[in-house]
Amino acid sequence: MRVPLYLRPRLEPPLDALLDTPHLLHTLVDALGSPLNVLLPDRVAENAERFLAVYRKHHLAGRVTFAHKANGANSLLRRLAAADPAAVGVDVASLGELQHALASGFTPDRITATGPKDPAFLWLAARTGVTVHPDSITELGQLADLVRRFALPRVAVLPRLSGFDAATGAGATGVRVRSRRSRFGTPLTEAEALLDALDRHRDAVEPVGVAYHLDTTGLAEKAVALEQCVGFLDALRARGRDPRVLDIGGGFGVGYVDDAAQWDRYTTELGNAVLGTRPALTWRGHGYGLRNEGGTLRGALALYPAHRPDAGPGYLDELLTTPAPATGRPPATLLLEHLYDLSTQPGRALVDQCGAVLARVLDVTPSDSGDLLVRLAMNAGDMSLEEHGVLVDPVLLPRPGDSPPADSPSGDTTPADSPPDAGPVGVHLFGNLCLEADLITRRTVFLPRRPRPGDLLAFANTAGYAMDFHAHRAQRQPVARTVAVVRDGGSWRWCLDEEYWPTTHPGGTA
Amino acid sequence: MRYDSITDAIGNTPLVRIDPAVHGLTRIDLYAKLEMLNPFGSVKDRPAWHMARPLLAAAGPGEQVVELSSGNTAKALALLAGLHGLTFKSVTNRMRIPEIKELLLLLGAEIEELPGRSECLDPTDTDDPLTRFHQALAEPGGHYLHTDQYFNPRNTDAHASGTGPEIVKDLDGRAPDYFVACVGTAGSSTGVARVLREHDPDVRVIGLVADKSDFIPGIRTIDEVQQVGLFDPATYDTIETVTADEAIDGMVTLIRRCALLSGPTGGAAFQGAIRHLRTVDRELTERRTAVFIVCDRAESYLGYVRQRRPELLGRPPLKNSAAALTEAEVRAEAKTVGPEAARRWITEGDPAPLVVDLRGPHAYAALHIDGSINIADELFGELLRGGLPFSTRRPVLLACPVGEKSARYAALLTRMGHPDVRSLAGGVVAWRDAGAPLVRD
Repeated sequence: MRVPLYLRPRLEPPLDALLDTPHLLHTLVDALGSPLNVLLPDRVAENAERFLAVYRKHHLAGRVTFAHKANGANSLLRRLAAADPAAVGVDVASLGELQHALASGFTPDRITATGPKDPAFLWLAARTGVTVHPDSITELGQLADLVRRFALPRVAVLPRLSGFDAATGAGATGVRVRSRRSRFGTPLTEAEALLDALDRHRDAVEPVGVAYHLDTTGLAEKAVALEQCVGFLDALRARGRDPRVLDIGGGFGVGYVDDAAQWDRYTTELGNAVLGTRPALTWRGHGYGLRNEGGTLRGALALYPAHRPDAGPGYLDELLTTPAPATGRPPATLLLEHLYDLSTQPGRALVDQCGAVLARVLDVTPSDSGDLLVRLAMNAGDMSLEEHGVLVDPVLLPRPGDSPPADSPSGDTTPADSPPDAGPVGVHLFGNLCLEADLITRRTVFLPRRPRPGDLLAFANTAGYAMDFHAHRAQRQPVARTVAVVRDGGSWRWCLDEEYWPTTHPGGTA
Repeated sequence: MRYDSITDAIGNTPLVRIDPAVHGLTRIDLYAKLEMLNPFGSVKDRPAWHMARPLLAAAGPGEQVVELSSGNTAKALALLAGLHGLTFKSVTNRMRIPEIKELLLLLGAEIEELPGRSECLDPTDTDDPLTRFHQALAEPGGHYLHTDQYFNPRNTDAHASGTGPEIVKDLDGRAPDYFVACVGTAGSSTGVARVLREHDPDVRVIGLVADKSDFIPGIRTIDEVQQVGLFDPATYDTIETVTADEAIDGMVTLIRRCALLSGPTGGAAFQGAIRHLRTVDRELTERRTAVFIVCDRAESYLGYVRQRRPELLGRPPLKNSAAALTEAEVRAEAKTVGPEAARRWITEGDPAPLVVDLRGPHAYAALHIDGSINIADELFGELLRGGLPFSTRRPVLLACPVGEKSARYAALLTRMGHPDVRSLAGGVVAWRDAGAPLVRD
């Protein structure tokens, strides 16, 4: 067996303690089926508090707004609804999400509506008094028409801006910071037209601020965007409006892998595997974006930077202190000096450490390469970290007190946790679809010991975009059920996600 | 010496022996090849000129030289382009030395920084910024002259025809026994190694790369070298890693003991060379020679050193520094005044206070307290170094966003002998929240 290349997940309380209770988790999967989503709603409130601590550090007022699309569960939303109304909100991107937010206890003043909007979504948002993020001047007009046609109260809007390429200096000399293109938002080059439109629709919409969202990990680009938005807010103010809010969107990131050295070693070896200087690390030599051209590595590694020491609130802190290019002042100072509140829309980062997907091992077969083929009672849609380019190990939860399986090469008299089960193995994880491509991940996963049918694999930290976002009912395979788990002193309480409310401890002591 | 063009001064750099008392090796003579003495300041002058010369000779008006470089290659190409009446654009996502960036701007270069990675990754998106850069270069009718340093064989040739033969000539026609080089584009190490091995196949070539989590200017990490077209592992007998700390140690030794104004890249080569040769030295029975390259000079890396080893630049504390006051001193010594009392003081005070707004000029322009003057905090700090900027007979009200910086400056001004300086408690934010008026001019 070659040296295992682990990517140990970062586990923090209470997720680490939960994954230390195999008996409870096995019982839950026995009762509710595989795959099973497990959520820790109290942690989401803690995460919001961590973001707010960064606000306080910089003396900034404003809300942390959960991007609902990261996870559709009831428990997370209801737990956040119970947090400080002045400090925690929710951002919805569809009619269904808006209905869900309202039903979960969010009052309209705490809800923002983003993304592609249809008339029904716009109407319900305007009718209930939600703050709308218009993506374009056209959409602003549609909203204003709706308000007039149905005699609705004026709607608070946070127009979304985009296109923040920054160039300093004149002519050829200067630094140009390139920014990723977005299909959402009004380009800054049309700022005057947007200001005119806001004046034209003064009777129907009230700009309470502006918003942007950049899909990038680059701090410099975000600092450019933030600074230019402050300029736009000042222009609004000059036209006699009273904007208060700068919504800087999300993209604060999550650190999935605990150990920097493991991540560094893994990515180096992945490059070597593509160059052919070491055995393959993936199913059929997949290169995750890298390719071998005459002994030189070409292409770009299409992977999420899974080890991130400064993700989430730490990243926000860094952004707020990175000097903006034109004024040289850090964003936190700019916001404070210009008297604007900060609004953030973390999705993934707000549900960091909030849950796991559990899957039952169905079958373990040896292969020609020496790696094991492991079939799970789930498919790639049920746990979609791979879809997001995140590489991190699952946690193996052996069935407590189980006897060795029939496929064990040493026969069935060996006690659990002794050779040949002991010792690391490389495995390929397959799903339950009748489809060649249904791999949970294309990489060879190293587990500390050989898994056996009946064991569970826990995919930790999957509450953000990896749980329900890509789940489907193809082949009539079951969609995962979701449970909410709450720590109660020394024990755990759980209930079905739909039964969770912040008022009581969920029933059913484990 | 008389030249028609500065480009004639590229190359023929000195090979200087390092005093054995400094390196401590008993049987190895260690030589530094001083590439920092090239006219544009670095080892990159050679490949830049060698790669650009044919392109510049054929260039039409309005064409632009482009290269993926954030350092010395960009510097040399910017100067060469200017010399030929053309412009230069540096495309980069790794501009990590602010001094070099400013220097490039001074040289008239255009800098384009590529976007960062996507946060919501789409693994099927092959449209990465670099791919788009190469597409733009290949567009028909383009006006770009791309020197392509990571793949252009003329990069290596510059050293195979220049640096390498010069070393052999200066060692009286013999190749050194050891050659130590930092690997950036791999051009210098590959080109020099080729020539040395032609003279003596037994030359040992030691390649130095940076540790994966580290950053040393001009050196790639072990992963990054794999993306370099000119990089061939077979060039090196061994590849070893060096750290930023070692690079700075080596740089300081070269500067303080050898009077060689080397930057961190040369420092890394020196330190890496000694580390490797020390073990070899013990086993030797006869004399050997070793050569390393001093890539560029120290001056551009003061910020790099300040960030990593501030003690090397230790200076006495500045006079009248607000930052030197402790929180407790600020609390004890700063007089504060709330928005309501401040309003009365401004309207009814005799004399009324001078209101100084410490925020940035844009924020001041957008909204401020009527009658206030704007001196942004950094400028105000500078101003105080010279002494009190106000008459002691005139009371002063300081305002900042939340009353934190203003309290600090109020404490400092009080220490400096001003009898009546007060800080607006809660700052302009509290002023606004109290419903007090803010105006724009």
